[in-house]
Amino acid sequence: MQSRFSRLAPYLQVAPLALVLLVFFGIPLLVVGAVSFFEYDEFDIYPAFTFANYLDLWSQTTLNLYWQTITYAVIVWAITLVIGFTVAYFLVFHVRNILWQMALFLLCTVPFWTSNIIRMISWIPVLGRNGIINQSLVGLGIIDQPLEFLLFSDVAVVIAYVHLFTLFMIVPIFNSMARIDRSLIEAAVDGGASSWRVIWEVVVPLSKTGIALGSIFVLTLVMGDFFVVKIMSGGQSGSVVSALYNEIAVLQYPPAAASAVVLLIIVTMMVAGILRIVDVRKELAG
Amino acid sequence: MQQQQFGKRPWSFYFLATFFTLFVLFLYGPMFAIYVLSFQGPSGGLTFPMNGFSFDWFVALFGQQRTGDIRGSFGRSISLALMVLALTVIISVMAGVAFRRRFVGSTFVFYMAIASLIMPGLLISLGAPIMFQKLLGMNTNWYTTALGAQLTWTLPFGLLIMFAVFNRFNRAYEEAAYDLSATTRQTYQYVVLPILLPGIIGVALFGFTLSYDEFPRTLYTVGPRNTLPLEIWNMTTNVTSPALYALGTVTTAVSFVVITLALGSIALIQRRRLKHNLDGESAGASQIALAEADR
Amino acid sequence: MAQRGTINLVSVTKRFGETVAVDNINLTLPGGAYCCLLGPSGCGKTTILRMIAGHETPTEGQVFIDNENVTGLPPVRRGTAMMFQNYALFPHLTCLDNVAFNLKMTGVPKPQRRTRARDMLARVQMEAFSERMPAQLSGGQQQRIALARSLITNPRVLLLDEPLSALDEFLRLQMRGELRRMQRELGITFVHVTHTQPEAIALADMVVVMDQGHIEQAASARTVYAEPHTAYVARFMGGQNVLFGRVGHVAAGTVALDLEGGGRAEFQIDKAPAVGSLIYISIRRDRIHLAKPSHNEEKNSANTVAGKVRAIEYQGSWVKLTLEGVSPDDFVLNLPDSEFFAHPVKTGDVVNARWAPESVHILTGGAGQGDRPYAKGQN
Repeated sequence: MQSRFSRLAPYLQVAPLALVLLVFFGIPLLVVGAVSFFEYDEFDIYPAFTFANYLDLWSQTTLNLYWQTITYAVIVWAITLVIGFTVAYFLVFHVRNILWQMALFLLCTVPFWTSNIIRMISWIPVLGRNGIINQSLVGLGIIDQPLEFLLFSDVAVVIAYVHLFTLFMIVPIFNSMARIDRSLIEAAVDGGASSWRVIWEVVVPLSKTGIALGSIFVLTLVMGDFFVVKIMSGGQSGSVVSALYNEIAVLQYPPAAASAVVLLIIVTMMVAGILRIVDVRKELAG
Repeated sequence: MQQQQFGKRPWSFYFLATFFTLFVLFLYGPMFAIYVLSFQGPSGGLTFPMNGFSFDWFVALFGQQRTGDIRGSFGRSISLALMVLALTVIISVMAGVAFRRRFVGSTFVFYMAIASLIMPGLLISLGAPIMFQKLLGMNTNWYTTALGAQLTWTLPFGLLIMFAVFNRFNRAYEEAAYDLSATTRQTYQYVVLPILLPGIIGVALFGFTLSYDEFPRTLYTVGPRNTLPLEIWNMTTNVTSPALYALGTVTTAVSFVVITLALGSIALIQRRRLKHNLDGESAGASQIALAEADR
Repeated sequence: MAQRGTINLVSVTKRFGETVAVDNINLTLPGGAYCCLLGPSGCGKTTILRMIAGHETPTEGQVFIDNENVTGLPPVRRGTAMMFQNYALFPHLTCLDNVAFNLKMTGVPKPQRRTRARDMLARVQMEAFSERMPAQLSGGQQQRIALARSLITNPRVLLLDEPLSALDEFLRLQMRGELRRMQRELGITFVHVTHTQPEAIALADMVVVMDQGHIEQAASARTVYAEPHTAYVARFMGGQNVLFGRVGHVAAGTVALDLEGGGRAEFQIDKAPAVGSLIYISIRRDRIHLAKPSHNEEKNSANTVAGKVRAIEYQGSWVKLTLEGVSPDDFVLNLPDSEFFAHPVKTGDVVNARWAPESVHILTGGAGQGDRPYAKGQN
């Protein structure tokens, strides 16, 4: 009966994973979808099939919220892409000693394993009214009054996002770049390409799976965030998920669920759009 | 750096090195600011300058209850992270082994894992309490629902790492073990898993740290008693003393201990393997260096 | 007048950290010739190629091409083109775009560069594959594309880094012929790095044998094979037995050498060496014969050595006989099969091998600059 067992083996081995994902991810997601059609009042939710929650979303406030979220996402995406590509390029093509390369790469990734909230909070003493930057600028006589727009503003939100999420760009781009055969660079130089053209004609096309993966990570992370925008904007700005957070706080599940479904559709379309341009499946599955 | 002596570097190196240094400063600078500020004197505030030096804010953190249940949530976070670590390692390794063969539904499970990875955490957190509390009438708890919600975040990472690890694994080791009459179980126990140990430690590192610092997925699934990140979240809105920074310092220190342990043991294993190789052929080392140079 | 594409290396040294890859080399590669840099891996041959190409800068010394000092110039300004070991075809570009890459970089308008790239593809018989991606091609086809891509710059020197090593035996022989034909047609200098000695001999007008960062010999293929300069070259090129010993006595242009491992060699020499000096000689395997066992008196005569047969390999038209106990190296005879089967011997027999005095070749370079007195040659 060895053979029957061995045919069943992969299913038994993958069962725990599938079960966890189904119970804590798949089904709750379906529940969110279902609840988005429910009715509700101040006290409870009632099973129903109404589009009211979706229609309520069609308001200027909500549209602004989506616009704001997408703006954050695009700005942060552009900045992290430039930084991530530059850092990865430096590590792969300019640090040729493999031990140094690994050490510096780890230096960039270690913050991933520490608390996001703490890393976000750490900007408060830097950007605040009496923070390091304002104190230095005033001390140097460059400005008279502390800059107010540094903390609790859109600037602070973007800085915190870039701080938290750039490594999600660095890691996949680094991985794709590290796989580029050095002789391809030399062949391009032989072919008369300047340093810029080597980057544009060879390095960028060959790192595009990494760029795509990094873009997916950064876009989904920004679009799914609520605490950075909540704290760092000082409550002045919002995002789709931070509004959703507020709704859940007053137990308004159905409109929150409807908003979540719409957000998911947008995110899915963005990811699908990236996947249409670049096939990253090979990269992910190895 | 070693290749400094190989020849002059182009100007672009210095430009990029400066850029990189600034990025690292950007990455770590603010964090160091709060570590320093957490040692503020008793009358110190949330910003520089330092008003003396003291451990008062650390004492305040664990001594009194005014900052919330830090001690209890700290213990829960550590226990939960250890549970997540164990489950992530076991489930990811099993799934990694399963994915080495083709099976019906493998694509579906794979895409579900990827979707779970990029899904906004709060949305997962939103569905679970509705489902468990409202529909099934169950209680949410940090060791049940929060554990499950965190696994939807750590398992995709574990799975992707196992993919990478198995991709680099040379099947010949396994076949050699079978040839030497090892059973499947013996082959995994004595050959495959020991060789893959560094990768498995990596999975454990992800399991522990991602759980220990997890916040959005835990938010609505944690039930009545909080984990540490949720305590921190509460503090950000109502505590305006350096105690917040002290907590940041403590939790980051824990993370760094775990990271150091994990990366250190990986480095140790690699070095030991390398050393065994070199002992055998230290005479060949110079040849290898030359061959590298001629490459 | 020296032909276009003459390369001069003057006192070139290349160090990687502590390691000396190329040690103070002076070398002239004649223009329009097919030159092979030959040596084991790690001998510095690829480093020399990369210094000519401009992908490495010499630590000391200069590189000249047609009397122009190109040291420190970027690759494009040298008039060289390089064909990489794994071909380095851009995986994201079609074959046509690969070949047209240089033209695109230099700003040639699209229609023109496509026409020229197509012509070049036709030249390597690959016009049918112009829209394929490199990964869809076989090794031999990839090599043709790489060749076309290198040649589109109209280089005066083509540098080839182990171009045949990735191919199977059949393709290797075919492409070898094609490279040689291409070089004749174009009349430009080919510098070809290889570690296989038959490849070098079959292709090259000039073979440069290298070891440990030194040049052991640079000469025509026939000279390197038949008249090796050092024991190292003799062993590396194969087909030779290397013996050495101290000069016993000298008389009337004849030298008697007391061989290490026993026996005595006697041969003519132009310039009489001092008694007691160390001399290396080589004798081609096919110039050695077995003395008839009955002639015992020959045992002590000159140009005869005794050894125990360790291996007998039948090779078709000849028999390869390996003797041990003759010298620190194995001593090998290639006997015509008729000669062997007329008086067969078997493994373990002690036999006498002899050669004519005029078959002795004096290795004027001694052991060689590398420090490997007993290194085994390639068989």
